[in-house]
Amino acid sequence: MFATLLSLFLRRLAVAVPTLFVVSALLFIVLRLLPVDPAAMSLPPNATNDELAAMRSTMGLDKSLVTQFLIWLGQILGGDFGNSIQYRLPVWQLIGDALPATIELALLSMVVATIVGLAGGLAAFYFRDGAGEAVLDLGSVVILSLPDFLWALLLMLVLGVWLNALPFMLRLDPGIERPVITGFLLIDTLLTGRLDAFASALKHMVLPVLALGISAAPSIMRVLRSSLLDVYQEDYIHQARLRGLSERQVLLRHGLKNAILPTLSLMGVQFGFLFGGTLLVEVIFSYPGMGNLMIDSIRNVDLPVIQIVGLTYCVMVLLISTVVDALHLVLNPKLRAR
Amino acid sequence: MSLLDVDRLTVSVGNSKGTFTVLSELTFRLEPGQVLGLVGESGAGKSMIGRTIAQLLPKGFHVSNGTLVFDGHDMLGIDERQRRALLGRDIAFIPQEPLAALNPVLTIGQQIREHLAHVARGEGRTRVADWRATAIEVLQSAHLNDPAGLLNKYPHQLSGGMCQRILIAMAFLSRPKLLIADEPTTALDVSVQARIIDLINEMRRANGTAVIFITHDLRLARQICDEVLVLYAGKQVEFGPGPAVFDAPAHPYTRALQLAIPPTMAEHRGLFTLPDRMPGLMALNDMQGCRFAARCPLAMDACLSTVPADVTVGQGHRSACLRPMDTGTIQPPPPPEHRQRQAGTTPLFTARDLSRHYVTRARLLRKPDTFAAVRSASLDLAEGEFLGIVGESGSGKSTLARLLVGLEGASSGQMTYQGRDISGMDPETAAFRRRNIQMVFQDPQSALNPRRRVGAIVTQAMEVMASTAADRADRAAELLSEIGLSPEMAARYPSQMSGGQKQRVNIARALCNVPRLLIADEIVSGLDVSVQAQLLELLLRLRQERALSIIIISHDLSVVRYLCDRVMVMYRGEVVESGAVDTVFANPQADYTRKLLAAMPGETGQG
Amino acid sequence: MAALPLWLRNTRSVIGLTILVLVCAAALLAPVIAPHDPNEQDLLNTLLPPVWADGGDPAFVFGTDSLGRDILSRLLHGARVAMTVAISASFGAMLLGGFLAHVAGYFGGWADWLIGRIIDVWLSFPPVVLSLILMVGLGSGLWNVILAIILVDWTRFCRVLRAEVLVVRRRDYVAAARLLGFSHLRTIVREILPATLPLLITLMALEMGIAVVVEAILSFAGMSVGNEVPAWGQMIADARQDIYTSPSTLILPAFAVFITVFGFNILGDGLRRSLDTRLTQTERA
Repeated sequence: MFATLLSLFLRRLAVAVPTLFVVSALLFIVLRLLPVDPAAMSLPPNATNDELAAMRSTMGLDKSLVTQFLIWLGQILGGDFGNSIQYRLPVWQLIGDALPATIELALLSMVVATIVGLAGGLAAFYFRDGAGEAVLDLGSVVILSLPDFLWALLLMLVLGVWLNALPFMLRLDPGIERPVITGFLLIDTLLTGRLDAFASALKHMVLPVLALGISAAPSIMRVLRSSLLDVYQEDYIHQARLRGLSERQVLLRHGLKNAILPTLSLMGVQFGFLFGGTLLVEVIFSYPGMGNLMIDSIRNVDLPVIQIVGLTYCVMVLLISTVVDALHLVLNPKLRAR
Repeated sequence: MSLLDVDRLTVSVGNSKGTFTVLSELTFRLEPGQVLGLVGESGAGKSMIGRTIAQLLPKGFHVSNGTLVFDGHDMLGIDERQRRALLGRDIAFIPQEPLAALNPVLTIGQQIREHLAHVARGEGRTRVADWRATAIEVLQSAHLNDPAGLLNKYPHQLSGGMCQRILIAMAFLSRPKLLIADEPTTALDVSVQARIIDLINEMRRANGTAVIFITHDLRLARQICDEVLVLYAGKQVEFGPGPAVFDAPAHPYTRALQLAIPPTMAEHRGLFTLPDRMPGLMALNDMQGCRFAARCPLAMDACLSTVPADVTVGQGHRSACLRPMDTGTIQPPPPPEHRQRQAGTTPLFTARDLSRHYVTRARLLRKPDTFAAVRSASLDLAEGEFLGIVGESGSGKSTLARLLVGLEGASSGQMTYQGRDISGMDPETAAFRRRNIQMVFQDPQSALNPRRRVGAIVTQAMEVMASTAADRADRAAELLSEIGLSPEMAARYPSQMSGGQKQRVNIARALCNVPRLLIADEIVSGLDVSVQAQLLELLLRLRQERALSIIIISHDLSVVRYLCDRVMVMYRGEVVESGAVDTVFANPQADYTRKLLAAMPGETGQG
Repeated sequence: MAALPLWLRNTRSVIGLTILVLVCAAALLAPVIAPHDPNEQDLLNTLLPPVWADGGDPAFVFGTDSLGRDILSRLLHGARVAMTVAISASFGAMLLGGFLAHVAGYFGGWADWLIGRIIDVWLSFPPVVLSLILMVGLGSGLWNVILAIILVDWTRFCRVLRAEVLVVRRRDYVAAARLLGFSHLRTIVREILPATLPLLITLMALEMGIAVVVEAILSFAGMSVGNEVPAWGQMIADARQDIYTSPSTLILPAFAVFITVFGFNILGDGLRRSLDTRLTQTERA
């Protein structure tokens, strides 16, 4: 098992390297289409033409696109992510602050989406051919029709503004100082024993996590239900019943174990979307993560930041799909045999 | 007291179109340790009995009348819990598709362990002491090698035959009183089939288990059954001791079925072909008299109006027919015409040293791993000759067929047609090959585009030529009548036809451009014997009328013996034997051919 | 209902079509039926509530936003952007993705490999991130929004259709067509496309809903058609600051997005049920 997992990770790495290379090339080219001059932006408006030319040459802008790309790539590989034009700070520092916040948000949302989705799928399967299924089915279409950022606004309006039940700005109540050890707020507050801060951080996450989790759950629910329906057509389910197993045993030992495999594949894709969904949800809840950083740097045409943030999103999605593949390998013996 | 007492059991299905009887008034008894064969063609309702006992009928099906008593339990009245207590313990099942009947994500060990636990709970034990040792013992009882190693294997790592052995071992581990085997060997190769039958026989004797053996294969039923029940369109038409039913059938349907099967070893004879096909469920409600009357060679006027009662014709032998004693008058036609003359000698097609390798694993800078599906196969075919290629799954016979028609290029070797080299894959050669050689595909379900009408399918070849719609309609009518379908069928879609009709359309499409050579890949496998007989007659008629040559690929030796002049036996990609049909069958040279012939189930009765 | 073709004759499809016909009518007739110019500011009447609430003004049925613009007129004009994007973008994505899917699935080999790798690269971007970056590069404007959505979402068609083409490709009737002299192009068009068409149509319906959402996201982020053209996402973004005082300015455009996407989703769901051959076959058996 360990050897097959290791070989999976090596294979994924072998694919990820060229993928990221192409991704960074794409990012670079797309952003060079912009009718803006990064040199002019990084100088005060009263700079002279000579100063501009000097800046262009230090930034490498007078060289060919390919050379510029290779220089940029070389810098990234050397660990130099460049500097933000608007904040005059190294990009890695901005990412280092924002990424843990986004990962925390995304992970919690995935947990919620998984629990709600699997439970809903089981319920829809259990109530198949009945009124319960129709309700769940229509409900899932309704939920799917409201995109995550609208869920965020709706939850904010109802639970935050009208009922005043939950906070909907930033990550902590004002006045609580933020401890920084790992960068993951929930972990850091626990490590420092600040339970009040932990509770406050958790409360601040409820609305964004709900918004993301709710909108990802229906797809998981629908796939689990249809996979269970497919699996129940198989001979081994019939044979298990003929051996006298109860419906519960049939479902748990034979139905779910097989139906979870296609569901897992979908969850991999869905979680990639969910990670992208954090972007607007963060903006709506003023949650200081990658999404706010991205929108902020787009508004200010902060190219070095946009590039690296884009690249970071890709790395995260590749990581998610690798983890899902590894789970697949653990659960599906047919994949392991190869 | 009988082990199983079934009395006037009637199963119905209700849907939007009304209520239909699937199984009507089934009545029989099964004594402990006896083997009852349930035979009939697909759609006759054979599988319903097993599902009724387990109360796992498909949606919409229900028992509308009758009783079913197993070992003192009223199976139709007991509750879910009691029934489950019997299933897997006193009543065991063996499935048709062994590979599909095992859970793909659990090891064999896990699945046996689960079953051991279920059996143990029935005996009041809560734990299975040392399940591993017990499981190994269980696997050994089915003569499986390396049982300890098998426990950690997954189903997809095993062959169908091994999976079936495992399922048989599991079925017998509770020493059941009743075993229901639903077509347990249909999905397996002939040689494996014989060994599985032996295993079931051995285990049932050792455990004193009674068996309901459901099969479409009369030869198999004859081999192992003490008693036989013949079903036709949901109705029990004949019931009696095996020898009585097979040697002196008292129902014309039984007799006709026997005569529709080509003999494996016995003297050559023609096939008795029943016209038309079994009536569907929907048609049964309006039927007045005997359900078989419309196809029966002995039918009288009375048969169309009176439902025949069960009459006793011998010791425990009953038949639902008005003329049970006259079945002997049904006689097979004489052997096919080609038996009386020599095939032509003008060479038409040759293949020399054809091979096909597949890359199983590409390697960097090194020679890739390859697998040889076909290894230097050679064949000669004369004009108007029928050649049979037989072999089991994995023998390379289907790959060879694809090479012969040019669907795939050969890795090496040469082919000629009328002296012209046709080995190349260039467009000109391909067009030449297309005009002269066509293929009939195995599975009509996959071979006919469900979105085209039959008329468009059979004249598909004209689509790439200059032709008008009227030309095509004329040609379609011509082709359909040639293969024995009415021209009105042209307007239908394949989904509106029966399996036999689809296979005819499949043949007609290949005939459109009047090729001289047809390659037919397993075109009768999976069809009922009466439909198979109709198709075999069609091929023989085409041979006579068109001087067509056919290379027919089949796993069924008796079909090849009936149709062909010469036979070629393939085993693991190689041709192990070839020669005239009668010589090879009477005096096989290769070990593999001898094994194959020995594994064939015997004849069905007096021809 | 009887006048509809069989594949549209189910409740879901009919509900979906009804909603979409209404939205389309609103979009087409917006210049005629809108009571105000959508960009006309009435600074004396800002943040008016809808007529049914206290203080509503019959001149502004759904009220006004913070600049005194009529919400109803802006909603009607917003439908123009939403529907234009939905139809053109999904059509373009279908053409690009469908074409590559059939090439990859039918020919296999290196073409399949190459297209597969391109999809891998695309899938490593969350769609929102990729479309935002493309909009940064392309600049705002209706046709750039459409182009960006095509460039992002062609993979949705390509992935699903390619798998379907692979299944159909293995059917014997495709081999038979080749043996009867069909060229590759004719085989694809006559034998494979009819089998993949139901899936393609279903995907189109779903993709139109996705395109509406993406346009809303982009205009919410201020990266879409530009300020002078009213768009739902932009209305939602503008309304955020007034969430305490005037929630209806937020809820109304959000509902417009929802009902349109719901229309496409329920239509897609209906189509999936009536067109999916696998489903209908199991229902028949």
